[in-house]
Amino acid sequence: MEELKQIKKDFENEIAEINDIHNLEALRVAYIGKKGKLTLLMPKIKEMPVEQRKEFGQTINSVKNLIETNLQELKEKLENEKILNEIANEQPIDITLPLNIKKGSLHPRTSLQKEIEDVFVSMGFSVEDGYEVETEYNNFDAVNVPKNHPARDMQDTFWLDNGQLLKTQTSAAQNRILRKYNGPLKAIFPGRCFRNEALDHSHENTFFQIEGMLVDKNVSVSNLIYFMKKMLSEVFKTDINIRLRPGFFPFVEPGFEMDATCTFCGGKGCSTCKNSGWLELCPCGMIHPNVLSLAGINPNEYSGFAFGLGFDRLVMLKTGLDDIRYLNSGNLKVLSQFGVKA
Amino acid sequence: MYISMNWIKDFVNLDGIETEELIRKFNLTTAEIEGYEHKGKDTQGVIFARIEKVDMHPNSDHLHVLAVNTGTEILQIVCGAPNVRENMTVCLAPIGSMVGGHKMTKAKLAGVESFGMCCSEEELGIGSDNTGIMDINFPVALGANIKTVFPIDDIVFEVDNKSLTNRPDLWGHYGIAREFAAMFNRELKILEVDNLKDYENLPSLSVSNNSPDCFRYSALSVDNVTEKYSDQTMKIRLNYCGMRDINLLTDLTNYLMLEIGQPMHAFDHEIVKGINVNMASKETKILTLEGEEHEVPEGATIICDQNNTPVAIAGIKGGKLSGISDQTTSLLLESACFDCKAIRVASTAIGLKTDASQRYEKSLDPEMTTLAIARLVKLLKLRDAAVKVTSCLTDVYTKKYPTIVINITSDFVSKRIGLNISDNDIINILTKLGFIVEKVNNELRVVVPSYRATKDISLREDLVEEIARSYGYDNIEAKPIAMEVKSVEQNYEHIYEYQTKYLLAEKYGMNEVHSYLWNYIDFNKRVGINQKSYVSLVDDSNAGQSGIRSALAPTMLKVMEENRNSYQDIQIFEVGRVITGLDDNNLALERPHLSICLASQTLSNSDLYFKLKEVLLDITENIYGTKIEIGANDCMPTYMHPVNSTNIFANETNIGYFGILHPSVKLEIDKRFNIAILEVDINSLLTAQKLNLQVKKVSKFQDVNIDYTFLVPKTMKYAQLEKHMETFKAKLIWSYKLTDIYESETLGDYVSWTIKYNICSLDKTLSSKDIDIFNMRMLQHMEQIGLKLKG
Repeated sequence: MEELKQIKKDFENEIAEINDIHNLEALRVAYIGKKGKLTLLMPKIKEMPVEQRKEFGQTINSVKNLIETNLQELKEKLENEKILNEIANEQPIDITLPLNIKKGSLHPRTSLQKEIEDVFVSMGFSVEDGYEVETEYNNFDAVNVPKNHPARDMQDTFWLDNGQLLKTQTSAAQNRILRKYNGPLKAIFPGRCFRNEALDHSHENTFFQIEGMLVDKNVSVSNLIYFMKKMLSEVFKTDINIRLRPGFFPFVEPGFEMDATCTFCGGKGCSTCKNSGWLELCPCGMIHPNVLSLAGINPNEYSGFAFGLGFDRLVMLKTGLDDIRYLNSGNLKVLSQFGVKA
Repeated sequence: MYISMNWIKDFVNLDGIETEELIRKFNLTTAEIEGYEHKGKDTQGVIFARIEKVDMHPNSDHLHVLAVNTGTEILQIVCGAPNVRENMTVCLAPIGSMVGGHKMTKAKLAGVESFGMCCSEEELGIGSDNTGIMDINFPVALGANIKTVFPIDDIVFEVDNKSLTNRPDLWGHYGIAREFAAMFNRELKILEVDNLKDYENLPSLSVSNNSPDCFRYSALSVDNVTEKYSDQTMKIRLNYCGMRDINLLTDLTNYLMLEIGQPMHAFDHEIVKGINVNMASKETKILTLEGEEHEVPEGATIICDQNNTPVAIAGIKGGKLSGISDQTTSLLLESACFDCKAIRVASTAIGLKTDASQRYEKSLDPEMTTLAIARLVKLLKLRDAAVKVTSCLTDVYTKKYPTIVINITSDFVSKRIGLNISDNDIINILTKLGFIVEKVNNELRVVVPSYRATKDISLREDLVEEIARSYGYDNIEAKPIAMEVKSVEQNYEHIYEYQTKYLLAEKYGMNEVHSYLWNYIDFNKRVGINQKSYVSLVDDSNAGQSGIRSALAPTMLKVMEENRNSYQDIQIFEVGRVITGLDDNNLALERPHLSICLASQTLSNSDLYFKLKEVLLDITENIYGTKIEIGANDCMPTYMHPVNSTNIFANETNIGYFGILHPSVKLEIDKRFNIAILEVDINSLLTAQKLNLQVKKVSKFQDVNIDYTFLVPKTMKYAQLEKHMETFKAKLIWSYKLTDIYESETLGDYVSWTIKYNICSLDKTLSSKDIDIFNMRMLQHMEQIGLKLKG
C-alpha cells in the first residue's frame, strides 16, 4: 500500500514537469505501459492475504484511473496548445492570387446561336441546316428574286466557276425546307452568308444570319405580330414591344422592317438606338405566294411568315464589340475574352 | 433622297398636322426616314438693304467700304465681293443676326470696322453662286427680313433610298405628296402642266429608236429662251434637296426630276437637231458634261444626234459638246424611259452612278415622259414668257407595260391581315392611292395605276400590303397562332456539334475561331501548303482569295501564325464547311469539318500528338459514342509529318487525320513552336459504328492483379500487341492495361512493357491453382507472337 502511495506521489511530481506529448507518452509507458510501475504491481494482488485483496484492488484501480485521467487531460491540453501554436505561426495564403489555368472560349456567335436556338426549340421549331455553297435556283429563283435583280450581279454575289454561288442569304434554304415539310411547319435555319462587298467596321463579306419560317392554314399578319413579340421577348428575356414598317424583300409580300424597343434604354432613346427608342432588328413578312408555289405548296391553301435575325449585329450589341471584322479575324486577344458563356 | 416639305405642300395641304406626326406616319406606312432638318434655322435677322456708297478700302486692293442703308440707319460694311456697286439692293446680315449658324458681331477688316456682312447666295445656303453678293433686282422694302420674300424656312427630310427600291413612284416630290395625301386623307392637287395639244400642228422632230432597251423617247423643241437663271425659290429647293443650281434650263430638268421623278435632258437644239437612239458599238467614247471621257460598253444604249454622233449615255449622263451653255437659246428636250437592268449594267460598267441612272434602275413608269415635258414647258413659260415651242410632241413609244387588273375579295384581305376589312375600307384606301376599284359581283376589280405597275404591284398579296400599311400596322391586333402540337425533330448534327465545341472550350481550354471559306493563297504559298480547290470564286478582286477550301487545317495554321507572337501556347479549333469534291452534276460536295491546332513552345511534339488523341477519343467516344481506328497514315496531306501522323478511320473509311505538322511547314511558320493539327469530318461520326456499351457483371469475390513485364521488339506497335491480347479469351479477365514502358540501352533492340491484368471469377475466390493456370495460358498466348517475360 505504501508502494502505491509512493507511485501516486511520484507520478504527480513527474507529470507536473511534463510539457510535451513525447515525454507524456514516455510517462504513460513508465507507469501504465506493459512494464510500467503500476502494471507490475497488478500481479501482486494474488500474493496478498485474502482480506487485504479487496482494498488493495480498489486502491490500485483508483490510482490507475487517476493516472489515466491525468494523462488524458494533459494530452488534450498539450495537443490544444500545439494547434494554437501552429495557428499562431501559420503563414497567410494569398487566395487573391490569380489562377494559372487554360481558359477556353467559344466564338461569341456560338454561344448566342445556342441560346437563340434553344428559345426556338422550346417554341416547337426544328433546327434545319443549309449549305454555304448553293445553286442559283435556291438562292434566287426559288425565293422570287427576279432575273434582272442587282443582287445577282457579280459585284454583289460570290459566283463560283461551276455555276454555283456562295449563298447570299439564309433564305436559300427555304425551298428545300418547304419541300421537306410540304405543309405546316415551324423551322429555323441558321447559317453563314456571303456578299461580295468591301469590309469596314460594320460590313463583312462573310456573316451569320438566323432565319425562320412558320407555315399553316390561314396564317395572318396579326399572327406574325404576335409571334415576333413573343419570340423577341424570349430572346431578350424581357418584355419587348415591336412595330412594323414597310420593307421590301422579294421573298415576302407584304414585307416588313421590324423594330423592337431598344433593349439598352427601354425605348427612352440612347446612342445605340440613335435616340429613336427603337432597334431595327428583324426583317420579316408573309411568305410570297410564288415562293410557296415554287416549293409545291398551294398558296391558296397555306400561308406563312418568314423572318431573319441580323445575327452578327445582335452579337455586337450583346458583347459591345464595335468592329464586325473581329468576328472572322481569329484574333485571340479579342475572341478569348468571351469565355464559354457570352 | 431629300424631300422639302414646302415643295410637298405645293401639292397637298397638310395644315394642322405636326411635322413629327408627318414624319412618324410616313416612316411607319411608306418608307424609312433617316432624319430631318429645319432649314433656315441658322439664318436669322438677315434683311434687305441698299448700298448707298462704295469706297475703296484704304489698306486693301480687293475690299470695299460700303455705306449701307437698312431703311432706318446707314451702316459701315466692309465687303470683299467684286460685284458691289452703288444703289445695289443686297441681303445684309447686321450685328446680332445669324448666317450659316454664325452670330454676326462687329469686326475689323484690315483695320476698318464693319457692322455686318453682305451675303452671297451660297453663304445664305439658298443658292450655289459664290462669285459675289446677291443682287436683288426686284423691288423690296429696305429693312424687311429676307424670309418674307424667300422661302428659306423649310423642313427637309431624308428618305432612305434603299427603302424606295421597289417604289419607282416615290422618286419625286409629287409621288411622296400622293402618299401624304392618302395617309392623312387630304386631297392631292393636280400637277399644273402646259397643254401640249396646242403644238400638234407644229413639225415633229426626227427621233428614231434603234435600241430595245429604250422603251419610250419623247422630245420637244423650244426656242427663244432669253432668261439665264432660275428664280430663287427653285434655287432654294434644288439646293435643299442636295443639288446645285447651274442655269435655268439645266435647273429645270433637275427640278422636274426631283418633282416627279422623271430624269430629263436638254440638248442645245442648234447642235442636236434630231435624235437616234442607238446601241453602242465597240470603242464608243463620249465626253460627258463634267469634261470626263467615258468608254461606253458595247450594247449599251446611247443617244446620238442626226449624224449619229453620240451626245449622251442613255439614262446616265449627257455629253459636253451638245449640252446647254450660257449662249443656248433653243433646246431639244428629252424625256425618255429605259430598261432598268440595261441602265444598271451600263452605269456599273462605266463606273458612273447619277441621279438619273439611280431612278431608271427602279423601273420608271414610261407614262411620265410626256407629263414631264408638259410640266417643264409650264414652268419655263412662267419664268420666261417669251419662249416659243417649235415642234410638236414627238413621242416614240415602243414598249408599253400592260394594264394590270387584280381581282380581290375582302374575305381574302381580312384573312391575310387577320382583321375584318370591308369592301368599302378597301375601296377607300386603294382609291386614295390612285387605284381604280370597281365592285363586280362579289369581287373587287382593281386597276393598278401605271406608276405602280412597272414591277411593284401585280398580285393580290401586293394589294394586301397597300391595304394593311394604309390601315396602319400599329392598328393590327396581335393574335396567337393555333397550330397542331407535334414533337420536334432533333437535329443531332447540330446537337453534337455544340457538345463538341463546349467540350473543347470548357474541358480542354481551347479557343473557338471563325475564318473565311476560301484558301489563303498567299499564306499557303509562303509556308509551302499545297491546297486543292474543287471550286473557285469567279471574281476574286475583293476577297483576294479565289479557291474555296477543301480542308480546314491550313486556315487554322494561318490563325495560329497570326497569334503566335502573343502567346506561348495556342490551342484553337473551328467547325467550318469545306468543299471536298464535285458530284456527278458538277455540284459542290459540302461537309462540316472540325479542325484543331495545338501549338506550344513548352510541350513536345509527342505531348501534343497524344493530347490530340485524347481529345479526339473524348469526342468520338463520349459525344458521338462511336468507334474509330487510328494508326495508318497512307492518305495524308503533304503538310503533315510523314512519320508522326495518322489517319482516322470509321467504318473502315478515312474520315480525317491528326499528327505533327511537317517540319518544313513548321519552320516557315515559327520554329519556336511545336505544332500539331487535327481535321475530321464530324458528321461521318454520326453514321459510324456505335460503341457497344454493355454492362459487365461485377463479381462479389476478391479480384487479383497480375503484372506481366514483356520484352517487346522496338518495331512493334502497341496496337499489334493489343490486337493479339484481344484474341486471348479467358473468362477470368476483367480488364488489362499497359502500365509502364521501360527503355534502356541494356535491352538492345527491345523495350519492356508492363501489362496489368485484373482477373476474377463470378463464382468463387480464385485459388492459387486458378491463378497458375491463367498465368500459363497467358504466357503461352503471348509466345505465339514471340513475346517473353523480361528477366
